[in-house]
Amino acid sequence: MVSRGPSSGAGDIPQLSRELCERLLQDLERARRPILYATKCSLDNARYSPKVGYLTPGPKKVATELNVSSVKKMSRAIFMLEILLRNLETGQVNTKRELYYISKGYIKHESSLKPLDFGDQDESDSTIDFICELLECYREEVNCYANDRGGQTYSQHLVVEETMPDGEKAVIDLSKLGTSAFQPKNRPQSLKLSVKKKIDFCLIVESEGTANTLVANGFTKRHNCILIGAQGVPSNAVRGWCKLIQDQLAAPLYFFGDLDAYTLQNIYRTLKAGSAASLIRNSDYSAPDVRFLGVLPEDIKKYDLLDYPVKEKDAQEVRALKKAADALKNDPFFQDKRNKGLAQILRWLLEHKRRCEQQAFFTVDPRDPTMPEKIIVDKIKRGIYV
Amino acid sequence: MATEQVTSSSSKNSSGPSRPAKGITTSSTAEYFAKNLQQVGFSSQTKAVLTTLKEAVDNALDACEEHGIVPEVFVTVEKVGPGSLKNSDQIRIRVEDNGPGIEPDDVPKVFGEYLASSKFGRGRCSRGQQGIGISAATTWAQLTSATGAKIQTKTARMRKAFSATVEVDIKHNRGVLKDKTSIDWEREHGTSVEFLIDGRVQLNGEAGLISYLNGTALVNPHLKLHYKLPELETQTVDRVTQSIPEVPEATEPHPHTMKLGEFIAHSHLFGRVKVKEWLKRGFSRVNEATLKDLTSSGIKSAMLEKSVDAASESDFKDLFMSMQNITLMAPSTKSVLSIGEDSLSKSIKRLGAVDFFAVVSRKPTICDFKPVQVEVAIARLEDRAIEADAPIQVLRFANRVPLQFDKSACAIVQAITSVNWRAYGIAQPRESLPQGPYILAVSIVSPFIKFKNASKETIDASDELVEEIRRALIQAGQKLSKHIRKEVKANELEEKLRHIEQFGPVLVEGLCRLTKASPERKKRAEEGLRKLLGRDAQATEEELLKAHDHLEAQMAREAALVALEDGVPVPVDADEVEAFLEEEYEESPPKKASQKQASQKKTSAASSKVSQKKKVSAKKKK
Repeated sequence: MVSRGPSSGAGDIPQLSRELCERLLQDLERARRPILYATKCSLDNARYSPKVGYLTPGPKKVATELNVSSVKKMSRAIFMLEILLRNLETGQVNTKRELYYISKGYIKHESSLKPLDFGDQDESDSTIDFICELLECYREEVNCYANDRGGQTYSQHLVVEETMPDGEKAVIDLSKLGTSAFQPKNRPQSLKLSVKKKIDFCLIVESEGTANTLVANGFTKRHNCILIGAQGVPSNAVRGWCKLIQDQLAAPLYFFGDLDAYTLQNIYRTLKAGSAASLIRNSDYSAPDVRFLGVLPEDIKKYDLLDYPVKEKDAQEVRALKKAADALKNDPFFQDKRNKGLAQILRWLLEHKRRCEQQAFFTVDPRDPTMPEKIIVDKIKRGIYV
Repeated sequence: MATEQVTSSSSKNSSGPSRPAKGITTSSTAEYFAKNLQQVGFSSQTKAVLTTLKEAVDNALDACEEHGIVPEVFVTVEKVGPGSLKNSDQIRIRVEDNGPGIEPDDVPKVFGEYLASSKFGRGRCSRGQQGIGISAATTWAQLTSATGAKIQTKTARMRKAFSATVEVDIKHNRGVLKDKTSIDWEREHGTSVEFLIDGRVQLNGEAGLISYLNGTALVNPHLKLHYKLPELETQTVDRVTQSIPEVPEATEPHPHTMKLGEFIAHSHLFGRVKVKEWLKRGFSRVNEATLKDLTSSGIKSAMLEKSVDAASESDFKDLFMSMQNITLMAPSTKSVLSIGEDSLSKSIKRLGAVDFFAVVSRKPTICDFKPVQVEVAIARLEDRAIEADAPIQVLRFANRVPLQFDKSACAIVQAITSVNWRAYGIAQPRESLPQGPYILAVSIVSPFIKFKNASKETIDASDELVEEIRRALIQAGQKLSKHIRKEVKANELEEKLRHIEQFGPVLVEGLCRLTKASPERKKRAEEGLRKLLGRDAQATEEELLKAHDHLEAQMAREAALVALEDGVPVPVDADEVEAFLEEEYEESPPKKASQKQASQKKTSAASSKVSQKKKVSAKKKK
């Protein structure tokens, strides 16, 4: 087994890959059955410590033995590894979709490779993930990025300095963008942040549209803040960007989203502590300092919010609630004492089977478009968050 | 406005009673059917063509069977020109058979008179029952083309054939002969009937002529059929057996299947006999013990000694009601005619190239107090042109006549959808017909089939009948699943073997490029991988061979059973057959259990058939 620490940089990936291939070849030369071990990326192998702040991989490994059934998977992995290593060598960066089409091109062109053909992008994506699990590296470390999604950022005081691949530097002053947003790239490592004035807080809003509305209503003009739209489940770009803000600006971070089981587990938990599927890369893709501003169950009564019962027949809602019940039993994040407040919200959701949208803040006083802003700021000031 | 309306309508009402009432008239049976041809299968132009053909073929087959003739039928359907009805063609339908022929005096009755039948209510498994169908076809021809049915017939004792046109005298329900002539016919005996009707020809699909003719061939293995349809070449379907099914003699009615009116009407057939004699002779399952039961249940012995024609209506009512309360043996199943697994097996291959098939003949049983036998044949077609998610082709038969319309309400379809076909490896959406390139034929044979309508398109779905069909389907499904399972397994294994050949070289090539390994190392690695996967391959191959052996053993076993049924010497070593019969395949426990059951059933069925044959031959010797 090739073993290395989770954040040991991309430099030794070619070396590790060659070692892996060498070992495979040696086994084959001796007619010995090679076995590959990959980190098990699932909740039952996730560990959580509040001191670390994110989910880390446990000791469980998944063994893949070379046999008639696995020879296809391994052949595909070695084929894709070759493309990725060449990319690392040349500095070429590709998206997952590009890699799918690049490999399709090779395969269609060379008839001997035909058996490797990927039926759809999911198959090539899972091959890339398998390689990352074998090498215990991030997908980004093998120069493979997902398409940019989410993370639209607004601020009157933030200045971003980007080091381009050719070494040249670009400086972006967010106050010059008007109501347009700055979208962080998939490689937050190449960004350096500075502020023109001390930032009081950073607010991450679940809905990109709501973040935009707050800006249009003058939120960023009236407060020394950074406002980010997460656009649903945060992508690696959003997660890395929030981590960068946390590390470089030392400003308090708050998450504002719906009060429902899905938001709490899939969106907020991923942002704060990473996910079980990305155990290997949670260290760089989570912002443990981010707090849950709401919507909180007590807000409903306090601000007279329009909540409503969960549709019992809606399969997605039912699944989210079932997952919430499972999370209380099995998810080390929600089981930890430090996150008792969050676990309590899950329990409240399970017990009351009600939900409340973030947009409910708009109807507290429909005549006042700045009402959501007032409530948010009031909650931050008075410390009404978890 | 409103007031005016009320006034006018009330005046209409008031004028009503003041007019003299119209006299009540009676109309002939022919008049009724001429006005209601839709009830007997002439509800659309395409149906008219099919029904006409069906009635003619049914009559031909029934006539041949009655007289012990192996049937050979020639069917011609052709478009002659435009029809008189809107959007219709004029179609000529000609059906010729080698049957016994019809006496010239009977010709107008057979083709031109409603309810004139030699089979009505006899309790036999004949195709025709009431004597409506062919007369309705003549009426349709008469109504749409102004010409009746052209008949040519010759019996064995006639020197020349009799030829005439039959028309229905609708007013009097009578057949009328026109253009009578005698002509030479090279045929020794036989009948040819020709109709010129308006209609439209539908060849394909479930309600198509091809489906009807194929279906008829399937359930009549002894039939040799020649047919010429529009736009198609002449086709010939050879017979697969020479033996004509023995149409069992009718049995007397069972008292529990009757209603009071029928019970009284039945008594009139017996003239002056004593009631007890009438009961014993006129009904099945009534004997001395039944009479004793009757007297103990309150019927006076004097009543039983009375003459039948002297009994009053209240006497019959008492007798009938007491009879209903007495436990009687279920009706006899002897009157049921079966096609047989052997004949079905041979016949199903005539439907096209078949991969494999399973046939099940249930023992005759009683459903709703009527003897009935269910037979099922299911085959997978080699032709996979049919879309994978298209429903399977269902062929329904009642007394060996294909049913082609209104399938959703039919007992057969209800039974098919109630079976979980997924368990046997056939795709099936929830509560629907299964899917795939299969043909499923279900035949119900009974002297008393309960149809939902006079055109005999749908069998009434009683719970008992649906359950009986369901059981037959489950047995057939279990048999078929052995083929499917083994095929799936063999495919999986073959795919694994292919994997080794395809991916092995690609893997080594890739590894060598990445490690910049020398050609020697590459060679060694290739050999190593071959050895490594070779071990898998060897094991795989062994499994594959085993699966093949099992499949062949299964097929040999089926062939052996067919041979046993035929009484032909078994072509393989007897010990081997025994071994086949006792063989257990290494399969998962529940499947193993079901297989065991199936094989046991098969064994017992085979042995019972053998013992039956022995009994028959012993009787013959006596």
